Amino acid sequence: MADGTRVGNHAEGPAIEADGLGKRYRNGWALKDCSFRVPAGRICGLVGPNGAGKSTLMGMAANLLQPTAGSLRIFGDDSRTAAAARRTSFLAQHKPLFRRFTVHEILRMGRELNPGWNQRTAEDIIIAGRVPFTERINNLSGGQRTRVAAALALGKRPDLLILDEPMADLDPLVRQEMTQTIADDVAANGTTVLMSSHLLSELESVCDYLVVIAEGRLRLAGEVDELIAAHTVITGPRTDPGHAAELARHIVIEQSVQGDTVRAIARRTGTMPPHWNTTAPGPEELMMAYLRSPDSPALLTPSARAGSDVPGVAA
Amino acid sequence: MTALTGRADTRKSGAPKRRPHLSGLSWLVWRQHRTGFWTILAVTAIGIGLMAYWRAGMVDYLVGYGYPHLAPDEWQSGFEPFSKRLFDVGYYLGFLPILLGVFLGAPLIAGDLEAGTTQLVLGHSVSRTRWLAAKLTIAGLVVVVSTGALSLTFWYWWSPVSQQDGSLDWTSGKLFDVTGAVPVALALLTVVGGVAIGMLLRRTLIAMVATFGFAVLVQVIWSRFRLNLGTPVTFTSHNGVADGPPGLPAGAHQLGQGPSFLTDSGQVLPWQTCVEQSETAKAHLACLAAKHVDGWSMDYLPYSQMQGMQWLGSAILLVLTAAIIVFVFLWGRKRLV
Repeated sequence: MADGTRVGNHAEGPAIEADGLGKRYRNGWALKDCSFRVPAGRICGLVGPNGAGKSTLMGMAANLLQPTAGSLRIFGDDSRTAAAARRTSFLAQHKPLFRRFTVHEILRMGRELNPGWNQRTAEDIIIAGRVPFTERINNLSGGQRTRVAAALALGKRPDLLILDEPMADLDPLVRQEMTQTIADDVAANGTTVLMSSHLLSELESVCDYLVVIAEGRLRLAGEVDELIAAHTVITGPRTDPGHAAELARHIVIEQSVQGDTVRAIARRTGTMPPHWNTTAPGPEELMMAYLRSPDSPALLTPSARAGSDVPGVAA
Repeated sequence: MTALTGRADTRKSGAPKRRPHLSGLSWLVWRQHRTGFWTILAVTAIGIGLMAYWRAGMVDYLVGYGYPHLAPDEWQSGFEPFSKRLFDVGYYLGFLPILLGVFLGAPLIAGDLEAGTTQLVLGHSVSRTRWLAAKLTIAGLVVVVSTGALSLTFWYWWSPVSQQDGSLDWTSGKLFDVTGAVPVALALLTVVGGVAIGMLLRRTLIAMVATFGFAVLVQVIWSRFRLNLGTPVTFTSHNGVADGPPGLPAGAHQLGQGPSFLTDSGQVLPWQTCVEQSETAKAHLACLAAKHVDGWSMDYLPYSQMQGMQWLGSAILLVLTAAIIVFVFLWGRKRLV
């Protein structure tokens, strides 16, 4: 999904802006002190292990949960306002639909409730999956239900689409088909997407922006390519005495020893010695390194920093 | 939207006007609960029809005794089957608030919370306040229409004899609780209570069981304090006690366990006075005379107070209902997901 194919219609600043955002449940903080931005028009992957706070963050963005601390703004409006709620669509793995409604009635619900409803968009998605309009939700397969839920979410014409692993329970074929349907619609409308997934490879192929959280805290946020460009994988012999000293000048995220070789993922703070064996990390490798090293400092690219004035300008 | 206009355009001009239809959130709430709503309205219609039919039969009988100018006593001998039916129906109508609370109130919000459809609605430009308001308003309207119509019809059925027959005690729940605004207020309180319980418990079945308990509790408390809504009137006589207590006005409901004795100085003695000497009437009278008893004192509620008591009781129930509604909104606005 190259930027050139997308119709950017949001000159208004960030789609999502969290400032000191926190959510506490009875058993403690699920999310704490998160400050970041997602510029409008991005396909943003939200990554983190189970219980990291992904669903909590998405629930707050969709106005299903209320922040305990800090603020969360959707296109400049507080996430709890009607203006913000009108611009977001939420599609979760648990896709609740009125089970006794027909497909036709579910779409009518979308039409009756949403001011900006686009019946054509919704109907096209249903027709493409050959789901009968007169069938009750009860009698649909899992894949068909996901399609109806997606039609409802996209028919709303959201500016921000939040996907909380909606495809997790689908077989690979339907999954790919649905991902494509959503991707096409989003590309055509310049919708900002916040999507979570366990499958890093899936995110890698679709996302151009990344937010990584672990244990309720922000780890990484920014453009995928900029995040990668800021890091280097260094491999060298373990016995080299200068190696460790040289490496210490950079921020080492993770270091592993295999036989005589040391392999480290580091955030560069200067130039690397030319004789070193350096490569660029893959996105998956980078995310895993940050998730495994909770004590390493978080990294936000300039466009992802809350309160920054010039979103989208590279460092 | 385009697909619809396309269809509408094909319609000939001058075609019959579209019948009134629900839109927006009202359409959704009605569609979601339409089975329940139609059931309630159908049962109401059947109830109204049956009561009208039974009333016609009753009036036929009464006309034979000169209705609307009934001669006292004569008509009452064959009236028992009619009054029994009236009482029976009144008895069953008394369960209506409980049924409505359990089957309409409890699942109204709990069903959505359990199925996750709250998220569905909230995700489509609907605020919690608007959604709760729509649910409560439409369910409330159905309850008011149903119980109000049944109450009026029952009143219409009972009215030919309401001031005639002492055997039909108006303070009985079978009459008092199913006429006037009382059934409406009782039903609204139990339904709204059921909604609140469902919102807190978030599980339909558990909420229904808890609402049943709540509704029964409301009935028990209401029955206990129903008569306290009236202002007792005291009837006194100083004509001796040998002939037994005098009759109260038609429709009067006597309070307490029995007529009390009144002394010449105006002191009221309980009905148990001289009960030890009551083997023979003579000994009893002598005992009473020794205590200067020369008449009766009776507390009663006249039939004329019935409607005032019903309005007062309904107002109290509606204030409680309003308090629960406020709670539902305050709680729901923050925590409903």
